Amino acid sequence: MKKIMIVDDAIFMRQMLAKILVAEGFEICAEASCATEAVEKYKTIKPDLVTMDIVMPMMEELDGIGAVREIIKIDPEACIIICSVMGQQSLVVEAIRAGAKDFVTKPVQPIRLLEAVKNILKLNQNLRLRRSGISVPAMPLPPFPSS
Amino acid sequence: MQDSYKELFLSESQEYLGNISKCLVKIEENPADSPSINEIFRGIHTLKGMSATMGYDKLTALCHLAEDLLDEVRNKKRKLNSEIIDILFAAVDIIGELLEEIKVNKPSVVDIGEVTQRLKKFLLIKDKEVDEGLTAAAKSVLASGDKFAFSESETKTVRQAQDKGFQVFKIVITLNHDCVMKEARAFLVITNLRKLGEILKSVPEVENLKEGKFEFFFTVFLASKEDQRIIRQELLSISEIEEVVVSSAEVQEKTAAEVKSTVQTASAQAGPVYVKKIQSMRIPVERLDKIMNLMGELAIAKIRLAQTVQTYKIEPLEEVVFMLDRLITTLQDEVMQTRLLPVAYILDAFPRVVRDVARKQNKEVDLEILGSEIELDRVVLDEISDPLLHLVRNSIDHGLETPEDRIKKKKSPRGKVTIQVSRQKGQIFIEVGDDGRGVDFQAVKKVALAKGLITEEETKDLDEKRILDLIALPGFTTSAKITDISGRGVGLDVVKSKIEALGGRVDFETTKDVGSKFILTLPLTLAIIKAMLVKVQEEIYAVPLMNIRETIKISKKELKYLQNFEVIKVRDEVIPIIRLDKILGVASSKLKPEDGDGRLSLVIVEYGKKAMGLVVSQVLGEQDIAVKPLGALVKRTKGIAGATILGDGRVALILDIMSLM
Repeated sequence: MKKIMIVDDAIFMRQMLAKILVAEGFEICAEASCATEAVEKYKTIKPDLVTMDIVMPMMEELDGIGAVREIIKIDPEACIIICSVMGQQSLVVEAIRAGAKDFVTKPVQPIRLLEAVKNILKLNQNLRLRRSGISVPAMPLPPFPSS
Repeated sequence: MQDSYKELFLSESQEYLGNISKCLVKIEENPADSPSINEIFRGIHTLKGMSATMGYDKLTALCHLAEDLLDEVRNKKRKLNSEIIDILFAAVDIIGELLEEIKVNKPSVVDIGEVTQRLKKFLLIKDKEVDEGLTAAAKSVLASGDKFAFSESETKTVRQAQDKGFQVFKIVITLNHDCVMKEARAFLVITNLRKLGEILKSVPEVENLKEGKFEFFFTVFLASKEDQRIIRQELLSISEIEEVVVSSAEVQEKTAAEVKSTVQTASAQAGPVYVKKIQSMRIPVERLDKIMNLMGELAIAKIRLAQTVQTYKIEPLEEVVFMLDRLITTLQDEVMQTRLLPVAYILDAFPRVVRDVARKQNKEVDLEILGSEIELDRVVLDEISDPLLHLVRNSIDHGLETPEDRIKKKKSPRGKVTIQVSRQKGQIFIEVGDDGRGVDFQAVKKVALAKGLITEEETKDLDEKRILDLIALPGFTTSAKITDISGRGVGLDVVKSKIEALGGRVDFETTKDVGSKFILTLPLTLAIIKAMLVKVQEEIYAVPLMNIRETIKISKKELKYLQNFEVIKVRDEVIPIIRLDKILGVASSKLKPEDGDGRLSLVIVEYGKKAMGLVVSQVLGEQDIAVKPLGALVKRTKGIAGATILGDGRVALILDIMSLM
């Protein structure tokens, strides 16, 4: 089972995200309410994927993007999905530059979130397999009526 | 493969186009109809996205301009007026022509210049500020054909990359249309692409992508050592990506224009990898026909099994047969469903036709369509669209009066054409009616007399049925002048014969100064029909149930002779008798058609308003039969419409009542 850490300063958001993910069979291995906590927990718990709220109160020197940078430093292949409200393009672009793998917009649509989570986990797995020399078969072409 | 996508593209585009023109007609009537404006906008937008993905530059450019104009209308930056609607209609026409060109694989000759000029000019007028941004965007798309070509230095880079063993791919990425923050999304795509290789070129440029200066799709040329399917897969793994088309781009050092065409042919040969999440599929009709055919055979095998089980009383199998029976019936229904399409499929084009014809004739016409959700066999739909179109044109041209005449008759100046589709039992009724002048019996009589089609005597009992027969005659017209809509005297006869060839019927009702109505009666499907099985001597024939009025037994004494023809009188109607055994060539002197009591079995069939009595040896019963067409050699045999295989494996011929009349 894939382990996911949820980072968000709002308990409500954390619970909602957890509900969506658990329903799909993911395990929520950790929750963090600020960037520093997220980085600390990532070190010890090593989740398979992190959902990261990009705007969190600056408790300490780290913000969401800083957390992404720190986590990528720890694990260059970390799977991080950004959660952001609409209109924060520049922040999201910054986070992607820092190494985030995807983003979803709030209000979070369950389908979008799950799609992103699954895609990223699969991508990462394929990447690792390819690195280790195992060829990953590409998706077959969709069936189409011959004419 | 390219071709199958093309087919998909074409059929989908045509649907959109149909819907667009339907909505255009709506907003012309009611400019405040903003749902329709939005629908047109969405339609054009989708068309643009699709044609860009397929690489049809002209189509893309045209759609783009139209979309810009619609966007302004939609956002109330511009007031909708008849000029805009006219331009949009013109654009829709050109789009239709472009699609037609693509369909027949012609090199593109359709000139989009005039309509794009009109669009651009229009876009220019209103607001200078708005205009600059718009035309810049439009220009970029218009010029995008050249933008795909590599410059000299770019070609060099491409060559170098190829020498180092990189492949160069042209990748068209389309984002979901409801994608929010598309600039961030595009950036994510670019970031991921950079992990896979080197981006040689991007249209629009990467900087513009980051600022969101693009529509929902963009093209990237990537040098990579990865397999193109891996690239596609990786890109599709990003959320909110609708489509990714990867094709290899072969580049030679040629002039820009030549490079462009080479890139296009190269991508055509390599076959783009095109992925879309599939929710519905388009299946060639032939395949459905094949399935339908197999269904028929399956049903026959089932009946044979059931009969065997019954004959030998194999109890353990009875339940299985029962289950099989139910399953096959359900399956048959489902397969039938796949052949059905709503009538809207053809009727959606009608508002536009009505508008155009009405305009040309300076008439004001409202079109009312009822029951367009009713479903019909696709083959039937295909066949009736032309006849229906003709009837509607006919109604406007001949049926409806000019507004002035209507006012004189104290009618509303706006004429009304109604198309009503309804379904009763196994039949579909389509009524095309108008509230116009009705058929002028006197005029028809005059022309018919002048042409020697009827005698003075016959004019006395000229009813609607006869009128229809007359006006349906090839070359018959009362129109004083020939317009390009009607008056050439071709049409109604074609309508009649087409509908009848489908096993349908055309009826006509008219009242002077109140209106006329054509009523088409059609079978729901052509593949399976209800039929009465009858025995003629030792042969079994199937008579389509929709032609049967009743079956009766008569004694030989009731047969009368009229001018040497056998007739009977049923409820005051004189009905001619047809000896099927003689006509079908199975007569035998040993077996008499009469039964022991000297009574004859008659099947009274009707076609149109004509009736006749078929003499059969025995009436066997009703059954659903799967119609199999006859081979080419016997196709035109009089009296036979097709064949079917019966439960016991015997072949029964299906009688063609029309040709027996």
